[in-house]
Amino acid sequence: MDETERAQKSVERFQKQVGVLREEIGRVIVGNRGVVDGVLTCMLAGSHALLEGVPGLGKTMLVRTLAEAVGLDFSRIQFTPDLMPADIIGTTVIEETATGSQRFEFRKGPVFANIVLADEVNRATPKTQSALLEAMQEHRVTVGTKTYQIEEPYFVMATQNPLEMEGTYPLPEAQLDRFFFKLQVPFPTREELHTIIDRTTTAHHVEVKPVVSRSDILEMQEIVRSVPVARSIQDYAIRVLEATHPDHSEATERVRRFVRTGASPRGAQAMLLASKIRALLEGRFAPSIDDVRTVSVPALRHRILLNFEGEAEGISADAVIDEILQEIPESKA
Amino acid sequence: MSGRLTLAAFRRSASWTGLRARVGDGIRRGVVSLPVVLVYGVGALTFIKVGQPSRHVEFWLILGGGVLVAAWTVLVLVSLLRRRPRGHGAQLLDRHHQLHGRLSNALEFSEIPAEQQSPLMRVAISDALERVQKLSPRGAAPFPIPRELGIVALLTAGLVAVALLEVRVQRYVPPPPNNFKPMVMTGDDLELFKDLATEMQNQGDDPETLAAVRRFNQLIEDISQRRLERREVFQRLANLERDLTKAGEAEREASEEGLEGLAHELEKADLSKPVADALKEKRLADAEKAMQELAEKLKNKRQPPSKAQLERLRKSLERASKASSERSQSLLEQKEELEKEKKRLLDKKKKGEELSKSEQKKLDQLDRQLERLDREKQKSERAQKQMSELDKKLAEAAQDLMKAQQGAGASAEDLQSAAEDLNRMAKKEMTEQQKQELLKRLQEMREILRQQGAGGQKRMQRMMRFGQRARGQGQPGGDPGGQQGEGQGQGEGQEGQGQGQGQGQGQVMPMLVPGQGGGQIPMAGEGSGQGQGQGQGQGKDGDQPGGGGLGGGKQWGNGHDDKLAGDGTQLKAQTKDVVAAGVDTGEGNASSEVIYGAAQRGFVGRGYQKVYTDYQTVAERVMNQDEIPPGYRFYVRRYFQLIRPRE
Repeated sequence: MDETERAQKSVERFQKQVGVLREEIGRVIVGNRGVVDGVLTCMLAGSHALLEGVPGLGKTMLVRTLAEAVGLDFSRIQFTPDLMPADIIGTTVIEETATGSQRFEFRKGPVFANIVLADEVNRATPKTQSALLEAMQEHRVTVGTKTYQIEEPYFVMATQNPLEMEGTYPLPEAQLDRFFFKLQVPFPTREELHTIIDRTTTAHHVEVKPVVSRSDILEMQEIVRSVPVARSIQDYAIRVLEATHPDHSEATERVRRFVRTGASPRGAQAMLLASKIRALLEGRFAPSIDDVRTVSVPALRHRILLNFEGEAEGISADAVIDEILQEIPESKA
Repeated sequence: MSGRLTLAAFRRSASWTGLRARVGDGIRRGVVSLPVVLVYGVGALTFIKVGQPSRHVEFWLILGGGVLVAAWTVLVLVSLLRRRPRGHGAQLLDRHHQLHGRLSNALEFSEIPAEQQSPLMRVAISDALERVQKLSPRGAAPFPIPRELGIVALLTAGLVAVALLEVRVQRYVPPPPNNFKPMVMTGDDLELFKDLATEMQNQGDDPETLAAVRRFNQLIEDISQRRLERREVFQRLANLERDLTKAGEAEREASEEGLEGLAHELEKADLSKPVADALKEKRLADAEKAMQELAEKLKNKRQPPSKAQLERLRKSLERASKASSERSQSLLEQKEELEKEKKRLLDKKKKGEELSKSEQKKLDQLDRQLERLDREKQKSERAQKQMSELDKKLAEAAQDLMKAQQGAGASAEDLQSAAEDLNRMAKKEMTEQQKQELLKRLQEMREILRQQGAGGQKRMQRMMRFGQRARGQGQPGGDPGGQQGEGQGQGEGQEGQGQGQGQGQGQVMPMLVPGQGGGQIPMAGEGSGQGQGQGQGQGKDGDQPGGGGLGGGKQWGNGHDDKLAGDGTQLKAQTKDVVAAGVDTGEGNASSEVIYGAAQRGFVGRGYQKVYTDYQTVAERVMNQDEIPPGYRFYVRRYFQLIRPRE
């Protein structure tokens, strides 16, 4: 078997495993295919997801189900205003040994799990929210002078309530930028609601089984990284990113008027990685411009910060991105 | 895997699709922007057809249309030639065949060197080759049918309709300019020239002169009927003058020369000297008379001429008879000599010998001399012809004198015959004079016409008024524009004084008119002026109130006689009616009174005719005797023409 065939096989396996994973999650989560795919994309990209939606839409259930389906350590942190960073990272305690001597020992916090659910992350103060920064970016935690590596794969999935709700603190820009996607959980349709009610108000109980192993996840992440991207596709993603900056020549009218800060390079990375995953999920071996266009909204919406005028006009980041996608030509001479 | 496309086919299809996209873009842009051009075209064409704008506006409208068409063409060309992004055709094919970037990715990966291609790149290429079965550039880049196509079709139809539409606009077409401006002469002048022509016709008996007079008459008639333009009149005048001049001049010159030669020989004899003198002065009638007298002398047997006188007469008659033929002979000899010399020089030249500078000069001189001799010879021959009869008679007279030692009777007869010849020549001279007279009239007429042309309409009107008044038909008290003067008069009563003053200012615009000699002569032109008068009179104890002087006071006096009431009318006085019939005795007013009267009433009446004839005769005599510039001569004659008596 030559390299090409092996690559082809691995891609086929990837597609198969993702299919199994989707199916397993689908046993619990009703509908929300886009959100499920988004969450899976974030995980396969080795990054993190931010889910936004009103309480009760199954955000926590989705993360829990995913954690169970992949058979990884899972921890859940409920962010509250009085939550302290140590509550997340862990703390050093005095411990008495068998010999009776005492010593300081670091007790790891919930952040050290493979899959961390930061529930209602915007209810905590920014100080506490920032405690996740190093863990999310470096996959490690530094306490005092000691650094603790977090076991791979590491996947933080945060949920947040819409900012308009009381008792919420907006996430710092640096924090937001570390999320691969910001996924908006829509309200289920009537059919989905029927199904949800049927499943949750009867004796029917679904047991989620781990269908993918840790090594599978790591391998899938490797496959994603090996997917080639044509220069024209990459160029398109970059031009879209540039267009989010109000002072750039590619910027659209809305961007110039309503955007305070455009997306960082992480935005382009997110678009291309997500495009690769999407291509793989659809049985292709390289992403297309359509892939970039599809993933650009969840990849960029939390990275574009609107100015006061944009807020006042009720302009959403999604609308700005839509305009960019309409105006930026797919290819440029 | 039959029917499987290759990467090369992918490239070809992508390239072709790109080209079609480019053309389609050109079509789309062209069709979308064409309504602007067509709307302008329809509007501009309608405006041009219906509004009938000026040439200037029409030019700018057409220019605007041209600019729009050029801009549209540039737009379409730019769309066609604009550089497209690489892989644009492949992307269109991907979209059309829903290949999700497989084709464009495969083409792009295939351009990477094989050793640099990752396994998944190769897999992606293979995947594309496997999945893509058919590519349709036509479907991927169809030529568009823009919505504006309907509008374009509609506007094009409108444009064609407007272009074909014949808008009938009633436009004033000015009639072709009538450039015919007939030559106009005043009735007075026409009458003058008609009278002159009639007079010449009555006097002349030479058919040539009569024909010329007829032509002149016809010309006058045509002018009076206003059939001729100014240029045509002058042309006909020139033709008439030329014909008259050409016919007579050479003959006259020859005749004069012959008579001069004759006079030169005849003056050498005492007897023939009076004849010679008369001939010299071209008094042919006197010459004839003198010749008759000479013949009588020869016949006179009581006091016959001396032999020496006769011998001198014979010799001079003999030489005179031969003078013209001898001259012709001499000229012929001279000519022959010169021709010989010329021939010699030309032969030398023909042989290739180069002529010296002096010889060349001589050759040129010979040419000129020969030409002159030719002319003189022709003249001499004409003179000989004119004088042939006279010469013959004189020769016969000389021979008879030689034979007639016993008597000069035969010779006298010959001389009488010669006198008859002279009479004939004199008559011919008379005819010449008539021609000259006619020529003079033609020149006068030409001059009058020229002046009328220079003076314009105003002068013509003035002349017409003058003509009417000259016939006594005008208003004698008409406005004499331009009068000026200052007058002072005193009317003396017994004890009264009158004083009148008249003051006036006037301007007379001098006018330069062309004279006969080519110069310009200042003439009085139009005048305009204002006059005012004042009069004062004082009377004191006078019988008569003071009055203004001549041309003076229009005011009445302010004095009065002390005796305001005069004597009553003597009603009882004896009265008797007397009727007195005037008798014209021809001894009426003095010349000055007649002239004054003519100026007031017109140039009519017997008294005026007499005065005019007196004055004109004097003027003619003075003009013939004194040296007067030709230009002034004309004006004097013209003056007398204008004041001539009218019937």
